[in-house]
Amino acid sequence: MSDKPEDKKPEPAKTAPVPAAAPAAAAPAAPKPAAPKYVPPEPVLNRKNGRLIEDRFTTWPTQVFINRWSRSGYQAGAAMLTGILLGLAVTGGVVGELAKWADKFYALLTAVAAAKGLPVLAVEIAWVAIKVLIVLHIVLINGLWSIWWERKISAHIQSRVGPTYAGSPSGWNFHGWAQTAIDGIKLLLKEDVTPAAADKWVHALAPGLVVAPCIIAFAPVLFGDNMAAASLDIGTLYIFAFAGISVIGIVMAGWASGNKYSLLGGLRGAAQIVSYELPRGFSVVPVLMFAGSLDLQVISNAQAGYWHGIPRWFVFYPVVGQLAFVIFLIASVAETNRTPFDIPEAESELVSGFHTEYSGMKWSIFFLAEYAYVLLGSFLLATFFLGGGASPINSVPFTLVPSWMWMLAKAMLMMFVFLWIRWTLPRFRVDQLMDFTWKFLLPWSFVNIAIAGLYLAFWLK
Amino acid sequence: MLDQIVFYSLSVLVLLSALGVVLQRNAVHSSLFLGLSLAGVAGLFASLGADFLFGAQIMVYVSGIAVLVMFVVMLLGRASDLHLRQVNDRWMAALLVCAVASVGLLKIARLSSATVATVAARPGTHDIGRLFLGQWLVPFELISLVLLAALLGAVFFTRTENAS
Repeated sequence: MSDKPEDKKPEPAKTAPVPAAAPAAAAPAAPKPAAPKYVPPEPVLNRKNGRLIEDRFTTWPTQVFINRWSRSGYQAGAAMLTGILLGLAVTGGVVGELAKWADKFYALLTAVAAAKGLPVLAVEIAWVAIKVLIVLHIVLINGLWSIWWERKISAHIQSRVGPTYAGSPSGWNFHGWAQTAIDGIKLLLKEDVTPAAADKWVHALAPGLVVAPCIIAFAPVLFGDNMAAASLDIGTLYIFAFAGISVIGIVMAGWASGNKYSLLGGLRGAAQIVSYELPRGFSVVPVLMFAGSLDLQVISNAQAGYWHGIPRWFVFYPVVGQLAFVIFLIASVAETNRTPFDIPEAESELVSGFHTEYSGMKWSIFFLAEYAYVLLGSFLLATFFLGGGASPINSVPFTLVPSWMWMLAKAMLMMFVFLWIRWTLPRFRVDQLMDFTWKFLLPWSFVNIAIAGLYLAFWLK
Repeated sequence: MLDQIVFYSLSVLVLLSALGVVLQRNAVHSSLFLGLSLAGVAGLFASLGADFLFGAQIMVYVSGIAVLVMFVVMLLGRASDLHLRQVNDRWMAALLVCAVASVGLLKIARLSSATVATVAARPGTHDIGRLFLGQWLVPFELISLVLLAALLGAVFFTRTENAS
């Protein structure tokens, strides 16, 4: 693939000797003398084994823009994109709905247990253990993926390129894909420092108390139709309840470090997260009113169908849907302590806030939790407002796509929005932050509930 | 069998962490034990099949009240909070009051603890909603009014007059 530009570029230079050897072959070039055309110098130095290594810096820009598809990078990129799309289509077609496979696997487990004479309880325990492991790995792999993605997005927003070389020393180091994994190994090997002034036990427990509730909160999260680790009737309440526990870990980390900056960060974190939990919870109330349930599957099912081609997603309900969506998005960003709302770890004031005194794996666990909350927020946005696993377009190639793919696509879109917000907006001041939630988000979420009540009374009976 | 293991281990957790709240010298450790104790109560609710109460307990008490207690302890804490004995020489009298209160509670609980639920536990959110906004509407609204009064009272007492 990479030798194609080599064939094309020297062509103008070669046209002169060719007619002498075979006059019939190059008919247009032979009759009139070649026009005085600029011929770019042929890149000689960048050859290896007779192949051009990289034509990016040796080709003249004019030449590049005449036919950009002649460049190896464009061809590789196009091939990769086509491959990804084809791969997704084939995966979707072959795998289909994942819930079906889960049912088959559960039936297999029961059959095996029945054949061996094991009790039903053993099957249930094994099944729960499998689901717990899957959810745990979703959280862990999300750490690898989203940190790499965030670094690439932040780099491109700031006109940099981000991780480029990590991967394999002489081979496939596609956009530094291995950067986060290698960083993780580095963090595992780093010294774990506990400051002398720290409260040892609380200091050591804090990262666990931040990340554990987050993993627990993933239990009822919907990854596709009928695809949640636990189908809970109180799903929404359960997620919000457990997501709120993490703030205890932040406060513990801030206090136990024995450092005034950490303590300030912990206190700010507590004040911020407790405050933003309110608009976050109340912004979902219209959704719960329309769906009539706290169960995420019921909420997702309530958004099935189309109005004249527009999907009946809650985000498309006039006024209420958009207001709820925006409030929920803002409050979710605030809950993750990310940039417009990152005063708990404001670098310019508090060194790095509540995790100043953490190093190595304990430090990275705080980040694992942060990105897990980004993923949680993305899936919740997709479920509450973007129709869960429903297709946005009511026509054949789109409606055939399995629900987990739509869910994942919507969640990734929302995750992109999270990362985009972080690298676009400057940080709030503390008082602005508090004013924003108590004087703007909370009143408007109440107004939103009232409007939703009017809708239910007069329109959506 | 499994129910009983869960119940007794959660009870032990709740009681031990409640003792920790009272006996720890460090006020911050006490507040952490308070959070653990409240979470254990939530676990008891869950083991009894009261799913909505479980979620509400976690949301309001563990991630709300316990966090606020911690917040206050850290914000207003003095150095003496970290090593002050929490028990003074009136502990006998306090223990007596607690004992009497516990016996009273036990007597009240006995009245209804003999009735065993005949149906399996099922999700109760809808039923709770209907009861709150139907049969028990007036008590529900009265409690809301009490909470509102408490809120306004807190604002009133903490408001400082402008010096000018």
